[in-house]
Amino acid sequence: MKIFKNFIIILILLTFNNLHANENNERNEITKNLRCLICQGQSVYDSDSDFANSMKILVDKKLDEGLTKKEIYIYFKEKYGDWILYDPGLNKNTYLLWLLPIFIFLFGGAIIIKSFILKK
Amino acid sequence: MIYSVVGHYSLILGLCAGLILIFFSIQNFKNSNQLDTKILSFSFLQFFFVLISFLALIISFVISDFSNETVFNNSHTTKPLFYKISGTWGNHEGSLLLWLLVLTLFIFIFLLRTKNQPIRYKILTLGFQQLIIIGFFLFLIQTSNPFNYLFPAPDEGLGLNPILQDPALAIHPPILYLGYVGSSIIFSSALAATTLKMVSSSWAIHIKKWVLISWIFLTLGILLGSIWAYYELGWGGFWFWDPVENVSLMPWLALTTLLHCILVLERKEILTSWVIILSIATFTLSMCGTFLVRSGILNSVHTFANDPERGLFILIFLFALIFLSLFIFFFFHQTSKNNSSNFFWLSKETSILVNNWFMMYFLSVVLIGTVYPIFLDVISSQKISVGPPFYHKLIAPFLIPFLFAMAIGPRLKWIRSDLKDKFYLISLLIISILMSFFIIKNFNINILINSILIFSALYLFFITLRDFFIKKYKNFAQNTAHFGFSLLILSILFNNLFSSEIITNLKVGETYDNSKTKIVFESINQKKEKNYKSIIANFNITNSEGINNKLSPELRIYNQPNITTSEADIKTTLMKDKFIVINLVQNQDYFNVRYQVKPFMLWIWLSVVVISLGGLVSFLQKRI
Repeated sequence: MKIFKNFIIILILLTFNNLHANENNERNEITKNLRCLICQGQSVYDSDSDFANSMKILVDKKLDEGLTKKEIYIYFKEKYGDWILYDPGLNKNTYLLWLLPIFIFLFGGAIIIKSFILKK
Repeated sequence: MIYSVVGHYSLILGLCAGLILIFFSIQNFKNSNQLDTKILSFSFLQFFFVLISFLALIISFVISDFSNETVFNNSHTTKPLFYKISGTWGNHEGSLLLWLLVLTLFIFIFLLRTKNQPIRYKILTLGFQQLIIIGFFLFLIQTSNPFNYLFPAPDEGLGLNPILQDPALAIHPPILYLGYVGSSIIFSSALAATTLKMVSSSWAIHIKKWVLISWIFLTLGILLGSIWAYYELGWGGFWFWDPVENVSLMPWLALTTLLHCILVLERKEILTSWVIILSIATFTLSMCGTFLVRSGILNSVHTFANDPERGLFILIFLFALIFLSLFIFFFFHQTSKNNSSNFFWLSKETSILVNNWFMMYFLSVVLIGTVYPIFLDVISSQKISVGPPFYHKLIAPFLIPFLFAMAIGPRLKWIRSDLKDKFYLISLLIISILMSFFIIKNFNINILINSILIFSALYLFFITLRDFFIKKYKNFAQNTAHFGFSLLILSILFNNLFSSEIITNLKVGETYDNSKTKIVFESINQKKEKNYKSIIANFNITNSEGINNKLSPELRIYNQPNITTSEADIKTTLMKDKFIVINLVQNQDYFNVRYQVKPFMLWIWLSVVVISLGGLVSFLQKRI
């Protein structure tokens, strides 16, 4: 058990050491999270439509201007609404969305423990 | 023309056969010494009528009979014969007819193959199944008749959506439907068994075969759809958590849960209510899927046909079925008074419960993620998108304990167990930690959750691999499926982490060169086929190891309907796929070139095949 714990700790430490992203990756990451508004359910990254291509250029431009990922998301959100982001952030519209599955998980666990393990 | 008439009337005859069957079932049910042979004949007759109708539609497609509205909307004279045939089920009306065909076939096989079960149970299952079948008949004839006439008959059809003209997609719907329809048999049979209070071990053993059949087909159906999306949609992804994909995944999750849960029922006659709920849920989810896809509520890459009126019909039908099943469940179901429902924490039962617990969680994530935006839109008219990041965040962390449970669970004994071979379990744990450590160190993976996932998937991989050698044929089916799953998770992870990509604009004769890869755009050919023109671009790609590949992606300009599609060229090798796709850049002679190297692609497909092989082994196995 002790060895196991140590391994986990080393693992965690090492994985954090490699935090360096290059710009192209960042662009891809952002465009994967943006919905191509004229396509049927495709991301900007996946699509080759004109809209998507101009969005890709726009993201590049924003990155060059020195905006962070978060700021770029906010920029697009203000311009096109929540619909454009594939990652729905946690806000008053999405509390249920994020928390309901977790709640169901906890609830299920409670039922299992109560009715099968602890029952006498 | 004549074929449409034949098809139409034979559909009506099929519906009549359904009504007659219900009448006979009621009579036979009252006086149930033996199964009335008339039931068997009429069940066959019903299948036969639907088959005639289906063949009539195929012939209409083959001879391009444009007096038939379905053919007019979805076919064209210049289309190759193969796609004329597959076009039969490439549209809404035809695909529903296929549903019906499989429904009637399955209930006939069910009646024929079910032995050693009470007659009344068989009759009642037939009755419930006929309700579903009649519902589908009405739906087909009322809202989506495949045999509507057009007068005067047009000379030429509108053609099939080109991205559906593809071999994988030609067989994807039939396979998937076999899975969906199999779940309807489970549904009817569970309702029948509940009504007759015979949910027991022997029923579990009998229905398990049907669960396995539907599970295998559903798995393969999803696989085919995914392969198709990978090479046809032109973005090199295979799963996008798109609503339509989710909708096929949900019944699969429910069915997989049922498959595990039924193992407990087989042994101990407990969890009866849960098995029934799962049986109902699986079919309801399949129907929900059909509703969501057909009604056009969802925004998806895969939505090809939708119509609100159809949506309403399915919705009413769905509610009727849910209401019926809830009624039966609450009025007829008796919870077992078996006292053995107290589980020891370390036992096979508990591990199966853990499986059910996690599967239900995954199901709820997918379900909520799919329907939440619809509800939010209706209630507060706010549009949000729920995409891959949501699913990854909620599913990936939970996969870790799930994978461990998959490794340990099957090794436990029923009732009460302790861990044997602790030495091996721990040494394999250390080996997988070391290996994942090595991988992480070498390839700069900088996300913690991925590294732990790799480690837990490796652990499952080693444990199942070892079991192949130690246990030989004991638990072979389960071990194969779990092994396949570990392989799947590993391949997906490696594929995600190590894929690389170049996107650039090139003219003919130009060269793209970075330090690792050199892409030479050599030439362009043009080709003219019967139903499309194509532009073929020839690329010569050299990677850092000096390996040369010639790849020729295509742009196809279809004449009917006038749509341009990009056909990727993929070089598949054991360890990686090289994927290239081109697109036109507007008003310029440049092409947008996207070149991807995707490791372990083949392994993703193979591991799903291994998973379903596990199911097949279990299906063929005689119970010991």
